[in-house]
Amino acid sequence: MDKEPILVLKGIRKVFDKTVALDNVSFTLHTGEIHGLLGGNGAGKTTLMNILYGLYRKESGEIILQGGKIEIQSPRDALLAGIGMVHQHFLQVSNYTVLENIVLGTDVNHRFTMKLVDETAKVKELCQRFGLDVDLNATIDTLPVGARQKVEILKALYRGVKILILDEPTTNLTPQEVDSLFDSLRKLVDDGLSIVFITHKLREVLRVCDRITVLREGRNITSLDRTHASEEIFVRAMVGEKMDIEGSIYFAREGQKFIAVPREAQVALEVESVSLYSKDGIARLKNLNFEIRQGEILGVAGVAGNGQRELAECMTGIIPPTSGKIMLNGKDVGSVTKGAMRQLGIAYIPEDRLHDGFLPKATIAQNLILGYHRQAPYSDGTFINWKKVYGQARQQISEYTIKTSGPEEVGGTLSGGNIQRVMIARAFSISSALLVAHNPTRGLDIPSMDFVYKKIFERKSQGGTTLLISEDLDELLLMCDRIAVVYRGEIFGMLDRSQFDKYMIGRLMSGIMAEG
Amino acid sequence: MEILVTFLRLVLLSMVPFVLASQGMMLGGRTGVFNVAQEGIMLVGASLGFLVSYLTGFTVVGLLAAMAVGAVFGLALAYFTTTLKMNQFVIGYSLFFIGVGLSTLLPKIVIGITLSPPLVPTLQDIPIPLLSQIPVLGPILFRHNVLVYFAVLLSVGLWYFLFRTQKGLELRAVGENPMCADSMGINTVRMRYLTSIAGGALMALAGAYLPMVYTGTFTEGMTRGRGWLAIALTFFGGWSPLPILAGSLFFAGIEVLAFRSQVIGLEVPYQYLLMLPYLATILVMVLTFRKSRVPGFLGRNYDRERRGV
Amino acid sequence: MTIVRKVIPYVIAIVAAFAAVGIFIAAMGFDVGRAYQTILFTSFRTPNGFIQTLLKFTPLTLLALAFTVPFTAGKFNIGGEGQMIIGAIAATAVGIMFADLPLFLLLPMVIIAGIIAGAVYGLVPAWLLYRFGINEILTTVLLNFVSFAILDLVATGPWRDPAAGHPTTVTIGSGGFLPMLISNPPLHSGFFLAVVVAAGVYIYTTRTSSGFELLATGANPRAAEVFGVNVRRMFVFSLVLAGALAGLSGAIEVAGVHRRLIEGMQSNFLVLSLIIGLIAKGNNLAVPFVAFFIAVLEIGASAMQRTMGIPVQMVFIVEALVLLFVLLSDVVRRR
Repeated sequence: MDKEPILVLKGIRKVFDKTVALDNVSFTLHTGEIHGLLGGNGAGKTTLMNILYGLYRKESGEIILQGGKIEIQSPRDALLAGIGMVHQHFLQVSNYTVLENIVLGTDVNHRFTMKLVDETAKVKELCQRFGLDVDLNATIDTLPVGARQKVEILKALYRGVKILILDEPTTNLTPQEVDSLFDSLRKLVDDGLSIVFITHKLREVLRVCDRITVLREGRNITSLDRTHASEEIFVRAMVGEKMDIEGSIYFAREGQKFIAVPREAQVALEVESVSLYSKDGIARLKNLNFEIRQGEILGVAGVAGNGQRELAECMTGIIPPTSGKIMLNGKDVGSVTKGAMRQLGIAYIPEDRLHDGFLPKATIAQNLILGYHRQAPYSDGTFINWKKVYGQARQQISEYTIKTSGPEEVGGTLSGGNIQRVMIARAFSISSALLVAHNPTRGLDIPSMDFVYKKIFERKSQGGTTLLISEDLDELLLMCDRIAVVYRGEIFGMLDRSQFDKYMIGRLMSGIMAEG
Repeated sequence: MEILVTFLRLVLLSMVPFVLASQGMMLGGRTGVFNVAQEGIMLVGASLGFLVSYLTGFTVVGLLAAMAVGAVFGLALAYFTTTLKMNQFVIGYSLFFIGVGLSTLLPKIVIGITLSPPLVPTLQDIPIPLLSQIPVLGPILFRHNVLVYFAVLLSVGLWYFLFRTQKGLELRAVGENPMCADSMGINTVRMRYLTSIAGGALMALAGAYLPMVYTGTFTEGMTRGRGWLAIALTFFGGWSPLPILAGSLFFAGIEVLAFRSQVIGLEVPYQYLLMLPYLATILVMVLTFRKSRVPGFLGRNYDRERRGV
Repeated sequence: MTIVRKVIPYVIAIVAAFAAVGIFIAAMGFDVGRAYQTILFTSFRTPNGFIQTLLKFTPLTLLALAFTVPFTAGKFNIGGEGQMIIGAIAATAVGIMFADLPLFLLLPMVIIAGIIAGAVYGLVPAWLLYRFGINEILTTVLLNFVSFAILDLVATGPWRDPAAGHPTTVTIGSGGFLPMLISNPPLHSGFFLAVVVAAGVYIYTTRTSSGFELLATGANPRAAEVFGVNVRRMFVFSLVLAGALAGLSGAIEVAGVHRRLIEGMQSNFLVLSLIIGLIAKGNNLAVPFVAFFIAVLEIGASAMQRTMGIPVQMVFIVEALVLLFVLLSDVVRRR
């Protein structure tokens, strides 16, 4: 592998409104390497690459490709320069076919009849060469996540890119699929590509990357060859001096003390033979049976789209189950129409925080009381006591470090991480019999993730019950008493903490039943 | 039999404003732009088209002027929503008000307030040689003014363009998922501008059809809600050119029944007939609304630099 | 932000709109200064002018609220005039059928008939939305046209006043007349009613839990639903309330101004009320103030057409431009 730089980013600066997202950042990519871009959420990694790909405009700085300076004003320029990007949230037209998505934006041979014979052959060849098999005529909305990611990669390869950027590619993959992805990356690099691998997962980056650059709060911290550095150096680089790594939960070593559930603990949530059929008759949840005791954290693992959303919405009373019973402290959740959360004391942190939990046009104070606006202490049932609301809001803003000018600020100005903090503040501020948290730490930087973990453990020690649904397997292994694995709406396996095994869970996530 | 032929002739004649306005709306909608200013653009197109035709003496110039003013409205819509990122509905209403206001203001300025408004010659029918001689079908299909033929050709052309060409694929992608289209190098801004401008021109032309073909003059509010009906038609037609064409025939049929019942010999108190087009539209929406497939990003603006969305 | 800073963009918008149209007026050869004076000050020159302004203010305020209440919930009610007409028809019907009843019976019946009829007419598009998911923008507008036909039916039917040249009904019983606050120039108590109702709506939307749910529904219906708000019921409720408000204004016009049903009574109230609602940006507190301002302009406009021959549409263009500039000022402020 020749180690000459194919791409150099120098002195990049980016400002959003008043926040400095990138401050004089530099980045060098060598030909034929896999370069990890590491950092917590909000560090600026995606922002930097979005600038390279032409989605954002930089305030200042230079981009030098193969020795010559270039300007990138739009994705079109990036693609022409041979730079491709696989985004974290796939950008695909759901009702188009795979082939249509791949050739979209390119000039096909038969522009006025759209007979795509030549193009089909070309894509098939790429599939074979790099081991990325997909049915070209399937429509995107019928494909599972793993297949859709292959389509994203094929989109870039089809255009003959020389540089490929992957933004958090392993978010929705099973451990086995992650291995397969890493193999494909090695094949790509052998074929002459240079790869930038954006992630916040330290262990991944140590596995597959040749060199690693760490960003924090929009600044360069370090750039090292993998062989020259240890895990400790990278950890410290990612979180800085202020965070207490020894006491943190995120960086917990093996053997860290975990409070087990006392044997006398009562059952809080009982789920009996619960099934959910969607409007078109498809089974989203099949015959679920489980229970959670007081003081217990039950984790739910699985690849996204296997029923987690439906599970969360059933447990919180948003959708009643088609059959079966959900009993919380003896009361039937499914029978309470609209307002189960309020009446039974269920707190919810939804996965899609923006769409399912946040009011961008409302103030932060209004957002903080959403769902609790008819009960004490905020309301007497008819009128809202705004003074009380504002008082509480100020307290929450400080406790949960929500970066804002005050409770009257309109929600739409908040960054993703701060919106998540509002969700969390809302869920933890009023006592609840059950907390359903779905990907609660997504989008948070490492100190904030640690804060959430601390809050959940605090809840545990007070006897609270938690259902933690997460696509981050490491998080579940860290936090849970037991883990249930869902696959196509069924619970494929339930493991106790003593039995936690990453690869076994990975097999269950892929639908491979446990032996014995 | 006579009555049937007359009825069908009238239907084909009356479908044109619906076809033009709806296709214009559909085009914008396919890139995600929801134009609620239709009624206003149709009115200002009718008003200006009539006035220019009256002043210059040429019908064609009047029609072109109408298209020009419609294009300007479309441009304004595109600018305020795509470039300035303002709310599409609110801007649409604002343009609707301006269109309505201008449509009554301009004749008052140019012609003044008179008891008998001036007339312009209406568009002539152009019979297609040979085809128009066919018994029954000939007079129904092939003996119309040029805009009728244009409406049909436009619909077929749009269908082919959207679903059988590369640019059509790209255009539809802009309305389904502009982030995706943008990331693939498609110029979403240009697409939205082009469809808004073209759409506005078509809507104004639809409006101009009313004075230039039906009455020969402009009267206040002469569109009588057709702009809103065209919006319903676009939904009803699933944002697709050919179903919209078919749907226009249906709407035209209702309109002919309602407003020209004397011509075809129906005896019903006229107020009920007046209500008919609107109630029929509501009924049609009830029957078809569930199945209508709407472009994914319809009515929403796209900002490349939006964080966290 | 202080009150002054909030008002500045509106003032600039008004000045800009007047300037834009002023150029036009001057180009047509009219005396711009006199035109401005007539538009802005006619309301304040004579007691009659001021009363006329208040009489216009009443329906405009109620109809604007009929737009802003659903707007808060994210829905567009363009059917204000249809709901007003239906309310007026019901009010007239009751007023004629029970014409002999005394004031303390007939008047409440007339007003309540208007409110209920308007609410029912608002329920129709609400139900279509609830049951079939049909866009209320379209249904409310279409129902306007239907209401015109119904109005024509009633005004030319058995209650028709044969002496009138234009479709109109006979007068309702005198027990149905709204008491006058001032007899000369005539200011009916409907004005007072409108102000009270506007205040009530404001308190509802800002201080009650239900009003909060309305706001949440409009801000993000999905999130509101997830967190316990019955969003679909809120849509229906907002449209029914809007219909009631519009129906009330129809009843007030009948009981206070015309004392009968006249075809064309809806005037241009609808487009004006939409402009008011949009300029106020859906803020129920701002609505009465904006409505008053528009009423002033409208009175000035008719005076201007009468005395100077400039078409009233000029002022309408001013109003539309004010809206556009107010919207643009938001964009400017964002940058």
